[in-house]
Amino acid sequence: MEAKIPNPTMRDLAQRLLAYEAAAGQTPDDNTHAVFRVSEKLRRPLITLAGAAGFRALLTRTLALTKAHTPAVAAFEVRPDGSLDGLADYKNDAQAAEAGLQVIAQLLDLLVVFIGDALVLRLVLDVWPDLPPL
Amino acid sequence: MTPKDKVTIRKLPTGVPGLDEILGGGLPEFSFNIIVGAPGCGKTTLALQFIFANATPERPALYFTVLGEPALKMLRYQQQYSFFDVSKLSSSIRFINLSHVLVGRGLTGILEEIAKEVEASNPKIVVVDSFRTVVRRAQGSEIDIQIFIQELGLLLTSWEATTFLLGEYAEAELHDNPVFTVSDGLFWLSQTVERNSVVRKLQIMKLRGQGSVPGLHTLRITDSGLQAFSRTFGMVNRKSKTPNAKRLSMGSVALDEMTGGGIPEGDSLLIAGSSGTGKSILATQFIAAGISAGEPGIIAVFEERPDEYVARAASFGLDLETPRKDGKLAIIYLRPLDLSVDETLHEILDAVRKTGAKRLVIDSLAGFEMALAPGFRTDFRESLYRMIVSLTGIGITILSTLEMVESFVELPFSSYSISFLTDDIIRLRYIEVEGVLRKIMMVVKMRGGVHSKEIREYSITPEGVVLGERLIGYDRLITGIPQRAEESALYDNDPPKHKAGS
Repeated sequence: MEAKIPNPTMRDLAQRLLAYEAAAGQTPDDNTHAVFRVSEKLRRPLITLAGAAGFRALLTRTLALTKAHTPAVAAFEVRPDGSLDGLADYKNDAQAAEAGLQVIAQLLDLLVVFIGDALVLRLVLDVWPDLPPL
Repeated sequence: MTPKDKVTIRKLPTGVPGLDEILGGGLPEFSFNIIVGAPGCGKTTLALQFIFANATPERPALYFTVLGEPALKMLRYQQQYSFFDVSKLSSSIRFINLSHVLVGRGLTGILEEIAKEVEASNPKIVVVDSFRTVVRRAQGSEIDIQIFIQELGLLLTSWEATTFLLGEYAEAELHDNPVFTVSDGLFWLSQTVERNSVVRKLQIMKLRGQGSVPGLHTLRITDSGLQAFSRTFGMVNRKSKTPNAKRLSMGSVALDEMTGGGIPEGDSLLIAGSSGTGKSILATQFIAAGISAGEPGIIAVFEERPDEYVARAASFGLDLETPRKDGKLAIIYLRPLDLSVDETLHEILDAVRKTGAKRLVIDSLAGFEMALAPGFRTDFRESLYRMIVSLTGIGITILSTLEMVESFVELPFSSYSISFLTDDIIRLRYIEVEGVLRKIMMVVKMRGGVHSKEIREYSITPEGVVLGERLIGYDRLITGIPQRAEESALYDNDPPKHKAGS
């Protein structure tokens, strides 16, 4: 598959989202990775827009595109419920974070293809209204 | 019950240009409406235009999608229209997907979910897209479906929401369908393909509580979204003609005399004649005379481009370029080949508003007819009537040109049997005299006025159409093959066995 690198703007946005979730920290009841939290928070509005099956398809496409330029994300898979699996397979946190960044950036980039930058940014800000500006 | 006792039903703007007038002022608030039509007719676009015109953060819109077009796709395509306001998206519009609810819990689940969302959001507008899918998927009987629609209608109206249910139905399915008895409004959008033209139409089949304009109205989808053209556009608030209306000059003293002083203001004049008889030149002289008198004008052309028209006028010493630049003259070129008369009228009225025009030239009626979609040509005569009545009703004086096929046995006045629609008729034709082709003009009709009965020769010169004297010494001029009067007298007394030209 032809590699499609996410545009720098979406990569930056993905980085901000991951940084935000990482800074929000983990609670005693929640030790999920920031990547998982970002993808889960994006899941709800995307299921609203595309349906559960539509969201799974978007995420599957995202992984396929990402794997084409970042073989390191090979561990990721989409579960039947649409959640991301595979984070635990990474040896260390930094590797998982980098792989997750690629996937989130790719997902946002794919959404831009369908609905444009303005609507993607609006969707993200709806979910993360306190996201610090660029 | 006195007017003050009656409940006030607010009319909401639809956001669709032209549609408020068709509905009788707007859509009744809190009404429960169904929009039906085949895929691609514009149902979703209509609903979204209404949403963007009315939804607010305090009273948002809820758009429920059910196994139809996913919201993601809708956002992709609908944002191409100029009505789409990104800033309203999260604050005033919420998309909710009920597909899984329908599959898992059926009609009861759909009703419960909608109720939950309505109670949580207090929406002003609710759209369900598509409710046909809901009805199809429902396992219940027809009565169950009707109960569902009725309960949904009661729920949404009780919460003071204005509702649209969108569904794909063919026209034949609309009759005797109990589902539609529940709705307050029923709008049918259609799309027909005839030869190479696509024609979209809208019909308000039902609208409780107020009068709407009956019939099929033209719809067009442009970059701005949907636009509707009422079939009675401009026919309200007509001015009645004054008995001693001002007379408008044709740009020729001699012709003004023939018409009894010029064309009465607000009249419809038809200039009919075969190709090359000078119809367009007379029309141009008419407009130029108006501009000289401070009366802006409009020329609607169908057979040549505006620049060509202007250049041809210039060759006769008539400057149309300057008034065009000054906004005193609008030249509308209409050649999309799937036009409707209502759209043309709309464009002309738009130009009237911009220029303050008092004179209009339609050059020519045959070209106008060719520019229409085939489906609109079948009622061209009726549409032309509405258009002429609308425009003369607001005081516009119309000059239309009409090409006639020459006949040597009769003198028809028009090809469309529309002579009765026009107030005044000037007929031009060729005659052959001693091997030379000459032209004659006659004022056939001036409704409500005295006019010359003379048949006068004219010529087309570098100064335009110039009238000559009455042709005397000839009879049977209107046949195109005149005879000298003395030969004609002989003929009458002793008809020759074989008719010959003079």
